[in-house]
Amino acid sequence: MTAKPTDRIVRLFEDNLIFLSLIGIVAFFGLASDRFLSVTTLSTLLNQLPALTVLAIGMTLVLISGAIDLSVGSVLALCAGVIGGCMTLFGMPLPLAAGIGVLAGALAGLANGSLGAFLRLPIFIVTLGMLEVARGLAYIVTDSQTVYLGAKVQSFAVPISGIGVSASFLTALALVIAFEYLLRSTVFGRQIVAVGSNERAAEVSGIDPKRVRCTVLVISGALAGLGGLMNASYLGSADPNAGVGMELSAIAAAVIGGTSLMGGRGSVVGAFIGVLIVSVLQIGLAQIGITEPTKRVITGAVIILAVILDRWRADSR
Amino acid sequence: MPQSATTANAAEPGSREPKPPAIAARGICKSFATQVLRNVDLRVAAGTIHGLVGENGAGKSTLAKIMVGLEQPDSGSLSLAGAPYLPRSASESIRAGVALCTQELSLIDDLSIADNLLLPASSAVRPKGRARIRRKLTHQCAMQLLARVGLDHVSPAVRVGRLSLAEKQLVEVARALATGAALLVLDEPTSALTAPQSDRLHEILREQANAGVAVIYVSHRLGDVLDVCDHISVLRDGEVRLTSSSDELSEAVLIREMAGVDADFEASERSTAAAAPVHLSVQELRTAELPHPISFECRWGEILGIAGLAGSGRTELLRAIFGLDKRLGGAVRLHVDGTRVELQSTRQAIRSGVGLVAEDRASDGVFRDQGLAFNVTVAGLRRIAGRVGRLIRSRETSAVRALVRELRVKSDGIDQPMRTLSGGNQQKAMLGRWLHCDAKLLLLDEPTRGVDVAAKLGIHEELVRLRDAGRSIVAVSSELDELASLCDRIIVLSNRKLVREFQRSEWRQEDVLAAAFSEYA
Repeated sequence: MTAKPTDRIVRLFEDNLIFLSLIGIVAFFGLASDRFLSVTTLSTLLNQLPALTVLAIGMTLVLISGAIDLSVGSVLALCAGVIGGCMTLFGMPLPLAAGIGVLAGALAGLANGSLGAFLRLPIFIVTLGMLEVARGLAYIVTDSQTVYLGAKVQSFAVPISGIGVSASFLTALALVIAFEYLLRSTVFGRQIVAVGSNERAAEVSGIDPKRVRCTVLVISGALAGLGGLMNASYLGSADPNAGVGMELSAIAAAVIGGTSLMGGRGSVVGAFIGVLIVSVLQIGLAQIGITEPTKRVITGAVIILAVILDRWRADSR
Repeated sequence: MPQSATTANAAEPGSREPKPPAIAARGICKSFATQVLRNVDLRVAAGTIHGLVGENGAGKSTLAKIMVGLEQPDSGSLSLAGAPYLPRSASESIRAGVALCTQELSLIDDLSIADNLLLPASSAVRPKGRARIRRKLTHQCAMQLLARVGLDHVSPAVRVGRLSLAEKQLVEVARALATGAALLVLDEPTSALTAPQSDRLHEILREQANAGVAVIYVSHRLGDVLDVCDHISVLRDGEVRLTSSSDELSEAVLIREMAGVDADFEASERSTAAAAPVHLSVQELRTAELPHPISFECRWGEILGIAGLAGSGRTELLRAIFGLDKRLGGAVRLHVDGTRVELQSTRQAIRSGVGLVAEDRASDGVFRDQGLAFNVTVAGLRRIAGRVGRLIRSRETSAVRALVRELRVKSDGIDQPMRTLSGGNQQKAMLGRWLHCDAKLLLLDEPTRGVDVAAKLGIHEELVRLRDAGRSIVAVSSELDELASLCDRIIVLSNRKLVREFQRSEWRQEDVLAAAFSEYA
């Protein structure tokens, strides 16, 4: 309450560290490459983000509740396959097929949640199993083929003329805001933080940790289903190999955004900035001519650096 | 210091040349939030068993921990067989030839018995001078040790996690024996043992003593202590009140010394709540931890105390009432405004106006990384929420500010991280959590544990104020003084049974203690 002005500036700096880092990285690539700060690059960048963004939202909630969801990449592919199947085999319109896809994701999440929370199995292992199960199912529903869907689904991912970003991106952005609000300003958001922060104390406070974790895993599954739609519309096809390793990118984005793997702390907006940082690095490094292997080294180092900075920030309180 | 300490030791068997005692403590002091040990002197001769008794919080366990290096004294010194001894860790003490069997078992559940037995550096099970474990040899050694403690039917290959509590306690003893220690410190070694198992343990201790080992025996079971020990010291409030040969002592004397003769257990003027209607009624309540049905009532506007030794089932009783532990039978009812509510779950209990402040604040109470406001409102979020679960920040702020003022919580604003608050302020915030829910019945488990003296008085004032405002309180405390000054009535648990009830006018500290020990005979 009575902090000195300099302290408050330091605090402000610390609180917005990742956002400042993002600006720094963008500025660096802007100077290093004359193509980076162009409408085309930015449009490309933003339009490839939505799937990872929605996965990172779900992952953030799951991590804050003190759990983890390793299955989201595979669930994304499964749901893309389900959507593709609904459209090509049954001739369903996109909205209906998309709804079924999201529902399939939610069911995968419910399976994770009920096995993990109610049968008291470790959620890490359950979702690791689901990672394999969902990937296998994705191959089964697509018959191991990429299902071509074409213009019907691409409309969702095509930049809207005049604003340069797609409906898909706008949806993801709206969800970031909505889930940040859920986390900060609703009873359920507080319950998620409470369960992740101290499960036993939450129980004594009348909160059911199993129910909260299960719900969060259902949300994560449903968001992975939506990610499947976004991925399919970006590619114009349902690819059973989509989203391999994407769960790790989502965890990385959440952690860069200040979410604790121990639970109890994190931010959805932070995770979104984490997604931006990871994506900007990908595109920017490619543009300045860094090879793929070196890119991976740098991206990995950035994740570790982010955790070090976060620890330093937490310790300074 | 009582003179008897030295006289008792002077009369050692066979008055040959004065040998240094196996262990001697001089002027040991230790403080945590409050002073736990004051100037403790203790001498234990080789070849004798020395009992340590005292009520909860008298300092027995802390003294035992200091002797094995798990705690360091603030001042004072120890000597072992005449040489200065200042263990900084358990492994140092083991190397010096001191072994401890604790209440909090230190065995590793995921390892086999044999592996656990060879963990201490000086273990006889461990092959000398080589790093590689030789399975067969280990196995044989372990079997001999298990046979000594009466576990000959158990294979050393069994994982410790699969053993019963009693078996674990015996393995712990076997491990201490394996180190070949010259001083054995046992803290409540028989708490889970059956009578024949205890007898077997006592025989082993006597054999050890006859072989020249010094044994320090801490226990609630006064009968055992009198039977087994050569000498007994009574600790009260961190001081040695009496050391004497056990032949000269009786249970009555021990209890009197533990309680203190001039107990300020005064019954202050208090309007008795006898006329008020019943608020909480517990009938024939049973859980896995409380096998004997428990029934009692708490009236509106009453502070009901629950006394008992640590492990007597006090915490489990509160948890069962609050719906945290599964019930095996019986009923918990609330009587509110002429209606009767049957409590089934924690959520329902909270909705019906019940709150529980847990004994272990760190693990079951506070959200240490969250702010004060978060911690206060977490159990009653609906009270600060609008429609569809939207939190209204201004409501939260004003609700928390009002409680902070009412309870005089000292903080730099309502979002100060909980971990940076003092113990006393954290505890007040825990009370605030339930006042925010407008709880009418507060279940408090050790409401002043880990808070300093000033904060303790502050909390006592709050509790009396809440009582006078018509709320009812059920308080568990290990400190009889605290119960005495706060409560209108005290019930006593002993070994998981409800053994006695005392009205305010009729209790004497000695009687309460005697009741608390009664089921451990």
